Amino acid sequence: MNVVITGAAGGLGRAMANECGRRGYNMFLTDVNGNGLLSIQRGLERQFGVTVATKACDLTDPDSVDEMLAVIDQNGIRFDMLLNIAGLDFEGGFMERERERVVKIVTLNDAATLRITHAILERRRQGGHFIAVFVSSLASMFPMPLKATYAASKRFLLDFATSLRQELKDQDANVLALCPGGMVTRDDTIEAIAAQGFWGDVTTNPLELVARKTLDRALSGKAIYVPGGLNRVLSFAGKLIPRSLVAAVIHWRWNQTQEKWLKKENCMAR
Amino acid sequence: MNTIVVTGATSGIGLESVRLLAGEGHHILAVGHCQANCEKADRDIKAGLPDTKIEWYAADLMQQREVLRVAGEIKTWLDTHGDGRLYALINNAGCARSWYMTTEDGYEQQFALNYLSGFLLTHELLPYLIAAKGRVIMTSSQSHKGIKVHWNDVMLSRHYNPLTAYKQSKLCDVLFAQGLNDLYRAKGLHAYAVDPGLVNTDIGNKTAGIVDLVWKMRKRHGVSPTVPAKTYHYLCNQASAPTALYYYLCKAQKHSREVTKENAARLFALSERLCGVRYETEAAS
Ligand SMILES: NC(=O)c1ccc[n+]([C@@H]2O[C@H](COP(=O)([O-])OP(=O)(O)OC[C@H]3O[C@@H](n4cnc5c(N)ncnc54)[C@H](OP(=O)(O)O)[C@@H]3O)[C@@H](O)[C@H]2O)c1
Repeated sequence: MNVVITGAAGGLGRAMANECGRRGYNMFLTDVNGNGLLSIQRGLERQFGVTVATKACDLTDPDSVDEMLAVIDQNGIRFDMLLNIAGLDFEGGFMERERERVVKIVTLNDAATLRITHAILERRRQGGHFIAVFVSSLASMFPMPLKATYAASKRFLLDFATSLRQELKDQDANVLALCPGGMVTRDDTIEAIAAQGFWGDVTTNPLELVARKTLDRALSGKAIYVPGGLNRVLSFAGKLIPRSLVAAVIHWRWNQTQEKWLKKENCMAR
Repeated sequence: MNTIVVTGATSGIGLESVRLLAGEGHHILAVGHCQANCEKADRDIKAGLPDTKIEWYAADLMQQREVLRVAGEIKTWLDTHGDGRLYALINNAGCARSWYMTTEDGYEQQFALNYLSGFLLTHELLPYLIAAKGRVIMTSSQSHKGIKVHWNDVMLSRHYNPLTAYKQSKLCDVLFAQGLNDLYRAKGLHAYAVDPGLVNTDIGNKTAGIVDLVWKMRKRHGVSPTVPAKTYHYLCNQASAPTALYYYLCKAQKHSREVTKENAARLFALSERLCGVRYETEAAS
């Protein structure tokens, strides 16, 4: 099994890579963070003895992606699975964020994900089953004031994954959209969850469990995975309640949370 | 006086140990997590003891490349300012987590910091420690008892329980001290594990979630970190090295029955693989 993982040096990427390693899969890892890639590559090889190749790449830059594809093609590597983990998340009011930083959310989360997905599907192993996973979010289920761009970019992925799944159904491929709540992937996510108080704790999904079940479900042909019972209830409620009401409630809650969070200062948040 | 390396030196047990040992004239190479906390700790100690000799180093010891970097800086200091000998290494940096989180290397964070960083740092500084017939002290805990090493999944990525991960990391600390003694006692090296007792520090409050809640209640019953500092002081200062493995309040105590030569050797081999290093032994050298 050859697996491509984007965003492999980040928290969820590393957890997914560990899960693949446990299952004995070989991996091609990419991330913008080249040093991080080397660290996780070494860690995976030492833990699991699997073959791991890496190439640092900025997925939002077509030339950088072409360079990576050239490496793949020189070595004639073909793939059985693609885990699209790379993504960005800034929070705050639309007009309070710098213009290009907001645009970058869509450039990476959506445009770049399409670019790499197209490229890897062209390089899928012939005659084999193929799996693509998109990391959407619980946020994709609701309009989300103060996370407006992020939530909409994740909605794009959810709808795209659902459609692509249909297109590829008779080509022996499955596409899964993962829609997690919060996951503790970095030191500063600890702070963010603490600031959300009760709701932060109860919508938080254990990273290691999400990684394992995502692969299980993708392999067994599922379309969507919303981890956590409460999150499934919330996502269902999102379909019943009028969207403008949902937006008003969420706006109120995020406002409070962000005030608490932004006040905190700590040397760990580096 | 002697040169001593202490990690996790900016707060709690590490800070009080540095204060005690530096106050007596030992030259301390103190490792903290970030620059700001190192500066704060330095001001704190110097306020009462202006003439102490302490060099500060900031490193995120969870990441192996950071352990290697700071070890390089310490070695340079020992070569240029010291006499090439390191009298003691206190591996004390530690953390608690409420969730499964990994380091850059993809290793579970409590295992990586509380145990594996000490294994790697000791490896890097071993020639200097042996030259001094020195001492290695691991900060373990009473909680290392009643648990086994999960050999098939040391990172506990299946059924993660934060407390289990913490306890296992502390058991590994004792096993490592045992393993060091098995390999290097003949060369004059002594390794110990210390149980600090229940100590009133912020260790559990540097993470959110369940551990934060529980620790806020529990730590109120803890002693001041000046109490366990005496045990480190005792182990460093006895002219003839104490011979037991596990100490609490300056006295040898019973450790878990899981601490055997076999388990120690098994952990040694696993850790060498996870760090990509080999400890020199008689056969290899
Ligand atoms: N308190 C107890 O009751 C108790 C009982 C048994 C054992 N212990 C052990 O005692 C040791 C010291 O803990 P403590 O209670 O004194 O708590 P503490 O005050 O939180 O001390 C932990 C130290 O480790 C440092 N540290 C944390 N993460 C680090 C990282 N990634 N890289 C480098 N340094 C890092 C901390 O620096 P920052 O603050 O800058 O992060 C701090 O200096 C730990 O090994 C702990 O497991 C404590």
